Amino acid sequence: MGLGVSTFGASLTMTQKSLHLRLGIAVSLGALFLILHAIPNYVYAPSNVRNIILSPLFWPYVVAGLTAIIGLSLLFTAFRPGEDVPFENEDVVHSDGITPWLRLAGLGAIMLVTMFALPRVGMVWTTMLVFVACAFMFRTRHPIAAVVCAVVVPLLLYAFFAHVAGVAIPQGDFVRLP
Amino acid sequence: MSLMDSLAAGFALVGNIEAFFMLFVGLVVGVVAGAIPGLSATMAVALTLPFTFAMTPINAILLLLGVYKGGIFGGSIPAILIKTPGTPASSATILDGHPMAERGEAGRALGMALYASCTADAVSNLALILFAGWLASFALNFGPPEFFALILFSLTIIAGVSGESLLRGALSALAGLLLATVGLDLVYGTNRFTFGSPNMMGGLNFIAVLIGLFAIPEIIAMAWNPVAHLGKTRALGKSRCSWADYAKSFKSIIRGSMIGVFLGSIPGIGAAPAAFLSYSEARRTSKNQANFGKGEIEGVAASEAGNNGVAGATLIPLLALGVPGDVITAIIIGAFMVHGLQPGPMMFVLNVDIIYGLFIGLIVSSVFLLFVGSLAIRGFRFVADVPKRILMPGVLVLCIYGVFAVNNNIFDVGVMFAMGWVGYIMMRNRIPAAPFLIAFILGPLLEDNFRQAMLMSGSDPIILFRGPITWFFWALTLLTVFAITRSTLRKKVPLS
Repeated sequence: MGLGVSTFGASLTMTQKSLHLRLGIAVSLGALFLILHAIPNYVYAPSNVRNIILSPLFWPYVVAGLTAIIGLSLLFTAFRPGEDVPFENEDVVHSDGITPWLRLAGLGAIMLVTMFALPRVGMVWTTMLVFVACAFMFRTRHPIAAVVCAVVVPLLLYAFFAHVAGVAIPQGDFVRLP
Repeated sequence: MSLMDSLAAGFALVGNIEAFFMLFVGLVVGVVAGAIPGLSATMAVALTLPFTFAMTPINAILLLLGVYKGGIFGGSIPAILIKTPGTPASSATILDGHPMAERGEAGRALGMALYASCTADAVSNLALILFAGWLASFALNFGPPEFFALILFSLTIIAGVSGESLLRGALSALAGLLLATVGLDLVYGTNRFTFGSPNMMGGLNFIAVLIGLFAIPEIIAMAWNPVAHLGKTRALGKSRCSWADYAKSFKSIIRGSMIGVFLGSIPGIGAAPAAFLSYSEARRTSKNQANFGKGEIEGVAASEAGNNGVAGATLIPLLALGVPGDVITAIIIGAFMVHGLQPGPMMFVLNVDIIYGLFIGLIVSSVFLLFVGSLAIRGFRFVADVPKRILMPGVLVLCIYGVFAVNNNIFDVGVMFAMGWVGYIMMRNRIPAAPFLIAFILGPLLEDNFRQAMLMSGSDPIILFRGPITWFFWALTLLTVFAITRSTLRKKVPLS
């Protein structure tokens, strides 16, 4: 049974059973977390609701219970005897080693910075930078076109949403657009 | 209101240049997006949605329906030319379309795909007009228990969009149901998973979740492998689809359209199974059986008729019952809600002008599709040449603007990014996103109707079985569950 996601460069194949084992463990633990911690602490029910069926707690508990059943079923299919089937065209281990993971981390960082910059720098300028950063991270073969599009696309979208749709696009603290 | 009055009201609503222009633009956007591998019809409808906020409801819905219909046809272009279906529904078109392209008959295959698509689209629209009103008048008798039973049955559509594993599809749906509980409780107004944030009290924004699930994972996937999309495009060739080709395949086109209409009107079946069933029926009954799979034009006609026959029919449950037929109509339900409309039987009473306006628009869309499609076939070379590594950053920027525009709230952009990573993790773990979205939409309706029914009966669950309508839907649900279980067991891979 090959669990092959965390190791770089090794020739591991994800199979149906290994996937279901991993998912089964995660889902079962998630369901337990919901039932024992999240629902009791983050779902509030008025004290005068006597009937559990009408309580705001009822539906989350039903969903959490069903999730637990699915988790156990995934574990059952993972441990059930029988032939295991490797997935076709699986792109779990990349031939470029650690680089794809760095690009994923880079994209995550771009998203975090975007959230921080949107109210401060403004949506137009932030999205211009996001465009350029992504295009170069994706190793575009048309750098000049990418820069031109990075300027034009956010400006066109700003023009549409701000002046046609009447949306108050964040302008930021530095340069304001008409 | 008589039929003539309703038609007149519909004409009054869409009888202007703007409405038809929106429909036309929608078809162009849909065909182009469907033709670009990686930009599915689903993503195109989701990304177009924010542009409709400033429009009148009828123009907005016509634009989105245009994108939907254009996207389904557009998917056949890369299926034939680069052996990559633009939408899953076009998978069957590859079987004969690409071999035709390989022997220099791509123009002929694409022409047949277009004519079959337009014919099937017209048949499907006709079915919608004939059956939706009848079904809606029946559904006017529904109360909360009936709606609960109907929505429970509709949740079985998740089996149809679960792909290779029912268990993983169910897991996705449960995650959607759980996420739908975030916000203030529907009856008591207490907090559920809001963590004290006022942004979460109204629940998670539907469009942020939708775009996060369907557009952002494609961008993240590009970060993982920026060269995965590169392929080889075939030339159109000199041969064109002739009248004789169309006449020879007409029987398969009509049969495929009927199959599409029938399967499309059942929530959850979707276009891909309709295309494959239509294809296999055409092969079974054709005189040129041996040519199927090697470049038989009738095969292209049958598969395209099958998948386009679904497009109008999926709107039958949407308009008549307020239940999505597939994932794209689930998005369109969201569009109705954004514009203050609640699809379902009451819409045939309160917004009959919009209903008939849509019917008129849909009929016109088949004609427009013929025109837009023939231009798209000639222009595909330019669409195929759009560099994906510039297109995807553009899509990301568009997502940011579009999601922000819903509520003028940066928090929604954060929800979209978070859902994008959730969607990517689901994609990597082969968990389908469609059940998540359908459950996210149906979850609150299910809970709301359940609790209303319980309030009506003083918490007596017998009310959920109170009459023939509820019995009918309970029986359908049980039958569907039985059929799914049996077919899964027959595959000798129980529930997986």
